[in-house]
Amino acid sequence: MKWLLRILAALAGLYAVLYGVVYVAMRQPPVRFGQFMKRMPPVLVWAALPAQSMWLKARQGTLAVGEEAPDFTLPRYKGNGTVTLSSHRGTRPVVLVFGSYT
Amino acid sequence: MPALNDLYKKYRDRGEFYIVYIQEAHPVDAWQMDVNVKEGALLATTKTLEDRSKAADTCVIKLGLDLPALVDTPDDFVERAYTGWPDRLYVVDKNGRIAFKSAAGPFGFKPEDVETTLKRLLSEGNTNRASNAEGQRRGDQSERDLPQS
Repeated sequence: MKWLLRILAALAGLYAVLYGVVYVAMRQPPVRFGQFMKRMPPVLVWAALPAQSMWLKARQGTLAVGEEAPDFTLPRYKGNGTVTLSSHRGTRPVVLVFGSYT
Repeated sequence: MPALNDLYKKYRDRGEFYIVYIQEAHPVDAWQMDVNVKEGALLATTKTLEDRSKAADTCVIKLGLDLPALVDTPDDFVERAYTGWPDRLYVVDKNGRIAFKSAAGPFGFKPEDVETTLKRLLSEGNTNRASNAEGQRRGDQSERDLPQS
């Protein structure tokens, strides 16, 4: 009976460590998180952990609805000048789609 | 992303649309995905504005995107400000405030949520009604709380 409890405790400990390590990794900048996932067997993350809810929490971010959108000026991708977010103020709503090809 | 193109076509005369092209989610030199290998979506981590512009070009062409694309700085300035990686949707109202923020992608990436917000903002604009909706909407709240337009 004692050995069974020990095994269970050890497993729970391992799970907690795995959870913690993956959660911390999810909060890292993209490139670092990518390097981490490269070395991680996918099943350990996606099957063993509640990865989706961890991800949504870890990547929640700091901005909230109702707050002022941080201003930026970025180049258009083919070099046709730049766009400043605040230049649309007072005119029309702006939809921002963050993403990449891969 | 046909859903994005449809949305853009429908609302482009009443709102601004921008893709903010950020760091690759699954570059060949990090966490590569089998599905990308199959589809030939093979890009490395982008470290310069030039690399990233090229990647954006590939993306726009291969996915057939009609939306105008902006390229985030190599130090990911806008991505960090908005927690945009790997993908995420925002709507900024005409007063420069965040009207909608999706949950983090890929799970939270739902263009239909953007349409719900746009409809609300545009109808508020038309009737000149004071906005009381501020702060009511969070992430994945459904349409049922919204005034029917």
